[in-house]
Amino acid sequence: MEKNVNAIMPGLCARVVVEVGDKVTKGQEVAVINCMKTEFSVASEYDGIVKEVLSKEWDELQVGNPIVILEVER
Amino acid sequence: MLKVINGGIETLVEDWPGRLGYLGKGMAASGAFDNVALGLANVLVGNSAGEAGFEITGGFLEAEFGVDTVIAVTGTDTQPALNGQALPMWESVSVSKGDVIKFSHIGPYGFRSYLAVAGGIDVPPYLNSKSTCIFGSYGGFEGRKLEAGDEIKFGEPIGNLSELSGRKLKSGAMPEYTNAWVLRAIAGPNTSPDYVTEEGMEHLFSHVSKIQHTSNRSAYRLEELPDSFFARTDGGVGGSHPSNIIDHAYAIRGALNICGNTPILLIADGPTLGGYMCALNVINADLWKVGQGTPSRDTMRFQLSSQEEAIQARIEQKELLSEASLA
Repeated sequence: MEKNVNAIMPGLCARVVVEVGDKVTKGQEVAVINCMKTEFSVASEYDGIVKEVLSKEWDELQVGNPIVILEVER
Repeated sequence: MLKVINGGIETLVEDWPGRLGYLGKGMAASGAFDNVALGLANVLVGNSAGEAGFEITGGFLEAEFGVDTVIAVTGTDTQPALNGQALPMWESVSVSKGDVIKFSHIGPYGFRSYLAVAGGIDVPPYLNSKSTCIFGSYGGFEGRKLEAGDEIKFGEPIGNLSELSGRKLKSGAMPEYTNAWVLRAIAGPNTSPDYVTEEGMEHLFSHVSKIQHTSNRSAYRLEELPDSFFARTDGGVGGSHPSNIIDHAYAIRGALNICGNTPILLIADGPTLGGYMCALNVINADLWKVGQGTPSRDTMRFQLSSQEEAIQARIEQKELLSEASLA
């Protein structure tokens, strides 16, 4: 099944640190959001494999916008 | 005592009106970014409106209470939960030793939540204020945002805890939140005709500007101004850009600094002087709206105000932040 890793706050995507096919564990940083002249880490809430990366550097993000889609085990 | 499990995006101890009287030393007042949300939270738990509380920017604070007390949460709806159960906002609630409060992400309106505790927060005042100046690393709790493992003491409640619980606000006392903030402002000191064109002033008081992602407790950056804004071709002895002037004191909080073509609202932790012109000042009663303006999402527009309106609005806000607002 698929699960999203979503933006936790508004801002610009500073970087996505995973690529399609990467194995991700719960709590692992997958992206960084730039807001208030500070970088904030976005961590995965699931173990899984990166199926799709939806954001790139400089993309504007709002709370809840999906950044990465993971394939996770049921 | 509050034991922090997760400090969230940025949680600070802030009071109101902050650290006044030190602009001449280069020290900003700091203080709650939204003094209305902090003030109402304090009133709900029986504190004076300006007592220190927790300013939770961006959400995600998680903490455990070390004592029985009464709390109130106001500001943006960060879906606070107590031991996993939804916690009502804008009213006072009893909590027990061992209870865990957890905030989620910001709501659709607003950027900052406030958590007030009966008796306030027992941090040592620095220069007459408990407020954190995060860019100066002083005041508040160790001059910084809260981190996991921090333990913050509370003050002594004023009155009986059982009488402080369950208090709510009168209808109409709760401020209205939006994604399109209108800020009343007084023009000056650097305006038309010497510094700004008539067209520029019209733009200043009509343009709807998105809040830039770089906005923080020091400054809120807005969309760039057109070159036609400026009445001068350069800054004379102040510098090469028409926004330059000889260094002068900034009227923070609320001055709109014109830095190059970028308008920047100087607020809580902003700079106290510099070499850029200032085209308007947001009235004191509307400063709270800046604190709830969400970077990368909300917009701001300035509405021309007068000194008389500013004074009256401040009087009305003072009345709002009192027990007269309780139901």
